[in-house]
Amino acid sequence: MAGPLTRTARYDRGGPAGGTGPRPVPALSRAVRYVSGVLARRALLLAVLLAFVFAAVELLPGDAATATSERGESAADLAARRHLLGLDRPVLERFGQWMTGLPTGDLGTSARGEPVADLLSRPFPNTLLLGGLALLVTLVVSLALGCWASARPGGAVDRAVSGGATAVLALPEFVVAVALVLVFALWTDWLPAVTLTDADGSPASWEMLVLPTLALAVPQIGWNTRIVRAALADESKAPHIETAVLDGLPRHRIFTHHLLPGALPTIAAGLATSTGMLLGGAVVVETVFNYPGIGSVLAGAVTDRDSPVIAGVVAVTGVVITGVLLLADLVRTWASGGRT
Amino acid sequence: MSTLVKPRPAVRPALRGTVLRVLPALLLVTLALIGPWLAPHAIDAPVAAPYAEPGGQAPLGGDQLGRDVLSRMLAGGRELVVTSLLVAVLVTVLAAVLGTVGALRPAVGRLVERAADVLMLLPAVLGILLVTLSWPDGGRLAVVTVSVVLGVPYAVRLVAGAAAPVAATGYVEAAAVGGERLWYLVVREVLPNLRATLLALFGLRFVAAVYLVATAGFLQVGPQPPTADWALMIRENSGGILLNPWAVLAPGIGIGLLAMSVNLAAAALVPATGRKAVPAL
Repeated sequence: MAGPLTRTARYDRGGPAGGTGPRPVPALSRAVRYVSGVLARRALLLAVLLAFVFAAVELLPGDAATATSERGESAADLAARRHLLGLDRPVLERFGQWMTGLPTGDLGTSARGEPVADLLSRPFPNTLLLGGLALLVTLVVSLALGCWASARPGGAVDRAVSGGATAVLALPEFVVAVALVLVFALWTDWLPAVTLTDADGSPASWEMLVLPTLALAVPQIGWNTRIVRAALADESKAPHIETAVLDGLPRHRIFTHHLLPGALPTIAAGLATSTGMLLGGAVVVETVFNYPGIGSVLAGAVTDRDSPVIAGVVAVTGVVITGVLLLADLVRTWASGGRT
Repeated sequence: MSTLVKPRPAVRPALRGTVLRVLPALLLVTLALIGPWLAPHAIDAPVAAPYAEPGGQAPLGGDQLGRDVLSRMLAGGRELVVTSLLVAVLVTVLAAVLGTVGALRPAVGRLVERAADVLMLLPAVLGILLVTLSWPDGGRLAVVTVSVVLGVPYAVRLVAGAAAPVAATGYVEAAAVGGERLWYLVVREVLPNLRATLLALFGLRFVAAVYLVATAGFLQVGPQPPTADWALMIRENSGGILLNPWAVLAPGIGIGLLAMSVNLAAAALVPATGRKAVPAL
């Protein structure tokens, strides 16, 4: 990762110069420059991803016009629809148009001729709600478990939590979902197994969010608990923690004021990595619970072989993940800036 | 990091523990591989009523077409395991070479880093959907290709991390100064020192591959009906989950146990070098 290295380098260069007297303005401008640098880098990575996505859709064999063709359709009809979908124009021209359309919210046209942005505008907030809830549950539970496990390193709790976390982190979400449906919907009848929607297309009641959220969160809890546990273990070896212990500070104060803040950047980075897996997993979990998110749109796209829709979904999730990674970058800057 | 080249102390008790933790995964993989020969019925012939309860001819009941769940269960793991093994082998080999080259040639290393940064923005499941839909005739080849492409950058990162200290050791530098070719340095000087890391990496990539291949099967972009496949069985039979839960539960347990046991085995094989052990799916 280039982030921490460049930041240290910049700090070292700026450090001695700032030593001649209090100069808050250069420090501020340095922060602005750092943040804009991170922004530019993230934007560039996103642009590269989008180019990759477009290339995957365009360069691989098969196109939307043939995929949605009906039986007995003549070659002339096919050519007409190709023209309608713009598939007969040069690749570079279409790529330029697609990329310049993205910032204005134009995600292109699906194989059925609907604007992709319209297709996604209703379900995507639902998916974000589901993913956001799962992220929140993951954060709370994995922090609690990680801290509990690291209270007595090597103890029974530590071994149970670490083993359990390792076991669940590789479970596919749909397997967790099926298990949850069996236990909580069919055998005990506590929670609904399918999601019903309101007139505005959102889930009808909060109970319908519980099982999808859990199915998404369980593997990520396994993953993040390990990260929290490892980050705390690393941090507890730091010299300032040993000093605090030798000084006789109370355990809980060391924990909340020294240990946790130091481990925060690692934990934030771990959660940020989870965002992509949560959004990817949401697609699968939504299919199990019939949840009205992008998963249902994608399920339709799978039958239609409608790759422009997938490209649109990848573009939008790419933007969301970029935002979360940016946030993690800023947390790291803020956490290390507070100490130096 | 220097533990990689030092002989590890207290091998005996650790070895026995490792064997105990690796054994379940080995047994399960073996069972999945020989399963098709153990199946009592054909996988595509009905032997009971649709969603029949367990009993008589079918110990685990029937599926949505009345086919024997137990036979399909025994037959349905092999493709998942073989495909995942293929992906894990390809990713490990590619990552071993690229990661070592990256440690010896920093320009290559930076390029791989950037690729990993970009792919972090693409959820693996969406990547699989994107490629399999844009390439409808790709089938299993498409799933394998995209799993390898998505897995390599993270794996390279791990190998490069472990290879960097080895590449900086005196004997590698001496060989490099002595005019040895890059290929010789990679294969003869650095890689033999990374055996433990590569073994653990293989385990972790196998876990990730099981996840991806199973999810692709569930989303119906992998194996197509009437193939017996655990993920596909879950998808096909979830409609009758109340009538014969075993038609969904058995393949679910299969995938769950496979993922968990292989993951615990991989974790047991990881050399104790700390946080790099956290796998990247």
